[in-house]
Amino acid sequence: MSLINPFDPNVKLHAGCSCGQHSSEAEHLEAESAALNRRMVENTVMRALFPQDVERRRFLSAVGVSTALAAISEFIPFGALEAFAQDKGPLEKKDLKIGFLPITCATPIIFAGAADFYGKEGLNVTLQKTAGWAIVRDKVLAKEFDASHMLSPMPLAISMGAGSNATPMVMPLMENTNGNAITLHVKHKNNRDPKNWKGMKFAIPFDYSMHNFLLRYYLAANGLDPDRDVQLRVMSPPDMVANLRSGNIDGFIVAEPFNQRAVYENVGFIHALTSEIWNNHPCCAFAASEDFVKHNPNTFAALVRSIMRATVFVNKAENRKGVAAMIAPANYLNQPPTVVEQVLTGRFADGLGQVRNEPDRIGFDPFPWHSMAVWMLTQMKRWGYIKGNVNYKEIAEKVFLATDARKRMAELDIAAPKSTYGKHQILGKEFDPSKPEEYLKSFAIKA
Amino acid sequence: MTAHFLSVEGLSKIYPTADGKPGTPVFEDIHFAIERGEFICIIGHSGCGKTTILNVLAGLEEASAGGAIMDDREIDGPSLDRGVVFQGHALMPWMTVLGNVAFATKSRWPDWSKAQIEEHCTTYLEMVGLGHAIHKKPAELSGGMKQRVGIARAFAIEPKMLLLDEPFGALDALTRGTIQDELLKIVRATQQTVFMITHDVDEAILLADKVILMSNGPLAKIAEIVEITMPRDRTRAEMHHDPQFYRIRNHLVDFLVNRSKSYAGSDAAQLHDAKHPPVVRPGLVPDGTPSGDNGGRPVLKQVVNQ
Amino acid sequence: MKTTLTFRAAVLSLFIFAMFIGTWHLATQAPKESAAAQAVNAEYAELMGKGAEKTGGFPSPEKVGSAFVKYLSDPFYDNGPNDKGIGIQVGYSLLRVGTGFLLAMLFALPLGFVIGMSPLMTKALNPFIQILKPISPLAWMPLALYTLKDSEVSGIFVIFICSLWPMLINTAFGVAGVRRDWINVARTLEVNPLRKAFLVILPAAAPTILTGMRISMGIAWIVIVAAEMLVGGTGIGYFVWNEWNNLALPNVIFAITMIGLVGMALDLGFGTLQKFVTYRE
Repeated sequence: MSLINPFDPNVKLHAGCSCGQHSSEAEHLEAESAALNRRMVENTVMRALFPQDVERRRFLSAVGVSTALAAISEFIPFGALEAFAQDKGPLEKKDLKIGFLPITCATPIIFAGAADFYGKEGLNVTLQKTAGWAIVRDKVLAKEFDASHMLSPMPLAISMGAGSNATPMVMPLMENTNGNAITLHVKHKNNRDPKNWKGMKFAIPFDYSMHNFLLRYYLAANGLDPDRDVQLRVMSPPDMVANLRSGNIDGFIVAEPFNQRAVYENVGFIHALTSEIWNNHPCCAFAASEDFVKHNPNTFAALVRSIMRATVFVNKAENRKGVAAMIAPANYLNQPPTVVEQVLTGRFADGLGQVRNEPDRIGFDPFPWHSMAVWMLTQMKRWGYIKGNVNYKEIAEKVFLATDARKRMAELDIAAPKSTYGKHQILGKEFDPSKPEEYLKSFAIKA
Repeated sequence: MTAHFLSVEGLSKIYPTADGKPGTPVFEDIHFAIERGEFICIIGHSGCGKTTILNVLAGLEEASAGGAIMDDREIDGPSLDRGVVFQGHALMPWMTVLGNVAFATKSRWPDWSKAQIEEHCTTYLEMVGLGHAIHKKPAELSGGMKQRVGIARAFAIEPKMLLLDEPFGALDALTRGTIQDELLKIVRATQQTVFMITHDVDEAILLADKVILMSNGPLAKIAEIVEITMPRDRTRAEMHHDPQFYRIRNHLVDFLVNRSKSYAGSDAAQLHDAKHPPVVRPGLVPDGTPSGDNGGRPVLKQVVNQ
Repeated sequence: MKTTLTFRAAVLSLFIFAMFIGTWHLATQAPKESAAAQAVNAEYAELMGKGAEKTGGFPSPEKVGSAFVKYLSDPFYDNGPNDKGIGIQVGYSLLRVGTGFLLAMLFALPLGFVIGMSPLMTKALNPFIQILKPISPLAWMPLALYTLKDSEVSGIFVIFICSLWPMLINTAFGVAGVRRDWINVARTLEVNPLRKAFLVILPAAAPTILTGMRISMGIAWIVIVAAEMLVGGTGIGYFVWNEWNNLALPNVIFAITMIGLVGMALDLGFGTLQKFVTYRE
């Protein structure tokens, strides 16, 4: 399609553009291509939503094009989509501050810094180690961090205003899958059946965390009501190890390397990896506010590209040892290298005298499944963190940018799933994302 | 009234009581005058309002009624025209001796150079015999030396009148005598007008031209004004050889011991004319004349109305 | 006589210190690896970090000592934003404390003057001061983070707010308590208000004001450590948190000692300053 008709008799030859609204032809072209871009994005979304031409036309003629667009933009962040569409443009912001917590979940974010993947995209990223999830949340909301490592349920919760002021967040990619464990005090060596855990005290890292949801799910599946039969306390990971040593708590669920660290310190043993509850469950994420993405679409795209590349690199088994050595020093995780290595390689001491070999102990898969977001939302509702009617899909699709991730992955030659929704097996029970309410109803134990 | 250098007219002071209502006046309807170059002492028991009168003259306190006019101008606040020597020397302990005097001098003559100020201060400090201690801090000085600095500070601003609030009260007798001599010397040399509170009868006789006697408060009045009729060049060492000395001294002591407290009910009080308090000259009354042994009546004979 | 007393005290101090270290040493002697000895196989023992430096229990004085040597021998290294030498970290903390403290001074001294000079202001402002004063400085932290939207500014604000009260109250108290005589001297000398404030009231109240400043600095130094542990990033408080995150107790103890030493130095500094402005009467 040609933008200017060269035979158009109305084309002005003096200063100004062909439509008369811009001061030069170049500006006109730019504006037109931006508009074109937007239209293309909107068309793509339309086609994605209504793959059948007939159906789409019926819908459009029924509600009108502008109404349809308005309705769709309610739950599709067009701004972010456009950001992806035109990401080859100049970077809006080069000096970025990104927060992370010193856990192995942050491996791609850290590695992208340590190996200067950010620099290759022209970004100058300062990785800021942060003391806790609440501070990560506050610093992102205060715009002190441009983007940050987060627990994957956090952007959902923040967007909905659970535990904070409602601020729209986007999550362009997942950091890691698995990578957590339930650790028990060594005195519980022979107390491995969760059915007998009534009255025990467990530590969790944050309310809006997969850790919390997985532990609750696990306990409830074994007949314990997590709000009544056990005590759950929010704690920072080093406090967990110290409290486990002193016997203040019986166990904890937390990100690595703190489970392995408890083993290393001879105070605990790994009761179960979370992959045993839900293999390839989502864990941590990379997230930014929608506002940041809107104002810095090109920067954001470059950021996502660098982390995605890092994710692919660190996921390869042959790279794990080297990555462990790179992220263990004080500037990043500040942990004994062997502890980090045991987590990343999956060959580890379990605290019970056995060396286990679990290559899937932690995985790095950037794809932010919408279905996983829906699962998190069902659990938030299950335990009373959110109330009332939840439009699962709308929120999931607004926050988890799975469609964009797929495009981005394709560009980087990473295989991406065809659908953004999948069925998941959690402790043998199937979760169907298309029936969240029915799934919720199927639980006997809930808040 | 002809223009006196300073005239106090109808002064009275009422302090509020604890519950905020006005109390009995400490003193009321006080009138007296001071001429240029005169040395006036005021004597009275505690609570008669001496210090209040001095503070009103200094401009530090306001009278409840009446006022004071100095050099044809009403006193309505503190002024460099009146130098004050405080009871407790009131030196700034963080400044040196020189610093204290310089602080005053600089206030009087803000445009003076540092050297000018230092020279001026040194002159006055040498006058009180402290030339050797100008760089010391007050804490390094004895009580007498501190009070000397206070005097030097007050003189240094060359005020029209000097107000001294019992300046030697806290000093031992020996020191007091020395400083009294010095003060006398300076005052004579400078022709300074002085208003001074004292409890010491000998001090008053030595220094004053007139002694104002206050009856006891509350409702204190000027009972009489005693003129010291001894020659002005008297010295501490010689003055007790003068026959007038004991007459005056006895008169004053008698007033303080007996008449000051009974004054309110006495005949003298009934004859009291606040605007013209009786002026007496006990020094000139020949020996043998009864004086002060039965109320104020005999004294009235020596009244010289101004 | 005086030197001998000092000398004897020094000897006794050294003896107490030696006893303390000795007891500590004996108390932290690790029992011979009994649990690890029965390890199933060599690889397991390897993974459990056999032979490696471990933090099991309370660290021995030797380990703490080596932490001292390690950090003090290179106090200004910079291995990226999250790993800097102790000198740099202390510098960050001092900078924050200094800024907050200075701001508090700029606010507290003039306001304290006004309050101290005016009984009306004293009465009017007293309720506010009484309510705000006992609030824990760290309780302001979330509020500050939320409203100021900047952790650096929030940290400084918390220092500001905790330094404020002792300075404000002591300034007001000191100014109100300036001897009437001195004020009267200034009045009879017709000293202008500014000269009176700086040459009479300020020096007269200085010892009291400085006591307030000394108390403020003590509180500020305690608070900055807690604030930095909370907010992270840089500073000695962050250093403590970062080492705690690694469960590296020798390093934590080293940092605690440094906090104590710097706090002591600050206090000594203010003590000297206090001596300088204190006058004998």
